[in-house]
Amino acid sequence: MTPNGAVAFTLLVIVGALLARDVAGLLVILAASACFALASRCAIWSALGWSAGIVLPLLLFMSVVWVGIVGRAPHEIAAGLEGSRSAAAIHVAVICLRLFVIAFTVQVAFLHFAGWTPLRFIGALALPRTAKKLLVLTLSLIDTILQAVDRARTALIGAGLVTRRRSWRNLRHGWILVQTVWLTVITIVLGRTRDKWPVEDTLARLEGTLAARAVARLSATDFGWMALALAGAAMGLRSWS
Amino acid sequence: MLTTPRLVAIALCAALNFAIGNIVYLIKLPIFLDSIGTILCALLIFPDRLAAVVCAFIAGFIAAILTGLVLNPFLPWFSLTILAIAIVSALLTGLAAETFRTRPLPVLPFFAKVIVCGLITGIVSAIVSAPVVVYLFGGVTGSGSTFVVAFFLKTGQQLLDSVVLAGLATDPIDKVLQVLLAALLYRATPREFIAMIAAPKTSPA
Repeated sequence: MTPNGAVAFTLLVIVGALLARDVAGLLVILAASACFALASRCAIWSALGWSAGIVLPLLLFMSVVWVGIVGRAPHEIAAGLEGSRSAAAIHVAVICLRLFVIAFTVQVAFLHFAGWTPLRFIGALALPRTAKKLLVLTLSLIDTILQAVDRARTALIGAGLVTRRRSWRNLRHGWILVQTVWLTVITIVLGRTRDKWPVEDTLARLEGTLAARAVARLSATDFGWMALALAGAAMGLRSWS
Repeated sequence: MLTTPRLVAIALCAALNFAIGNIVYLIKLPIFLDSIGTILCALLIFPDRLAAVVCAFIAGFIAAILTGLVLNPFLPWFSLTILAIAIVSALLTGLAAETFRTRPLPVLPFFAKVIVCGLITGIVSAIVSAPVVVYLFGGVTGSGSTFVVAFFLKTGQQLLDSVVLAGLATDPIDKVLQVLLAALLYRATPREFIAMIAAPKTSPA
């Protein structure tokens, strides 16, 4: 599967999940996504755990709000009905399952390319040259910033200005950490753009590398998976109506 | 419009959005601060308003996509909110750019402008993000404002109205803080870097 196919598959599944209105429809779409996960032999448990870790707290929170506090579903409020907690529970189930399908599909598509380097992945995307370059630069700078965060945080913890855990001191001195990181990164970027990149001809080399990594936009396998996603979305709609 | 130095500025601000989310997570602060890079990008490119809107939006959008892959898969849904923040930052917050860099710091005008820009950004962002919060999350996003939504729902308000009202009650506070941090970072940015972004003679990307 190509990265473009994975993006298209993910978008189709997400559209399907947004159009599906009931639990049955969403389960059909989740099944299509699970088929992709199994076939791509990615770490399916990791994807399930990640998605559950995001959606379970929301499920708990929504249950407290809708079932516990409000006690009726939005359509019942709109119609001015007295409503029931069971309708509110169904509303929570649909919303959470939809969010789970989206999170799971995004993570599965992401993990499918876990063995690829970011440069290889971006190079294979059907995007304009400038967009690819921008993505590579952003990823490179994220690494730079995260390293600067690590160094500055360690130094500030050593100086007793911030702590490892939640504290008032963090709230008071968090700004120093942000400012330190920003100034560090600006200095690095100025050095790179003014001296390092022109000497090493980095941007021209990057363009060459990205052009060399361009592959077919969509493969036959991609179309197969996209057809499955479309079928799942259509079935999801059917069970709704 | 997208010269190489501006591409670098966009990438830097996108990375900043991503990293500040990381810092907030690391030092366990009870706030979001996910648009500082977007606002800062608009300030850095400001005199050219169209470029400021485009570059700030791209920075916010890239950060949302990358954060979506790693931390929060629902962030890219708020792309329209990112666009709204970029527009307000380029058209309104940018007007205060000169005050933000004046030395010594003019305390009253500085904070007055930060508060006005933050409040307007917060109001716009609350209104634009409400439909996504209603449709995708059913009104409950897991943030502290959810209990405000629950309160309005309990009083018989419709879902969309409740989400908008809760957003109007909470978003402006977060955005005032974000504009303040963006203004302080802008103030701390070396003149050399701002000149590099503004220079018209740079080669196109």
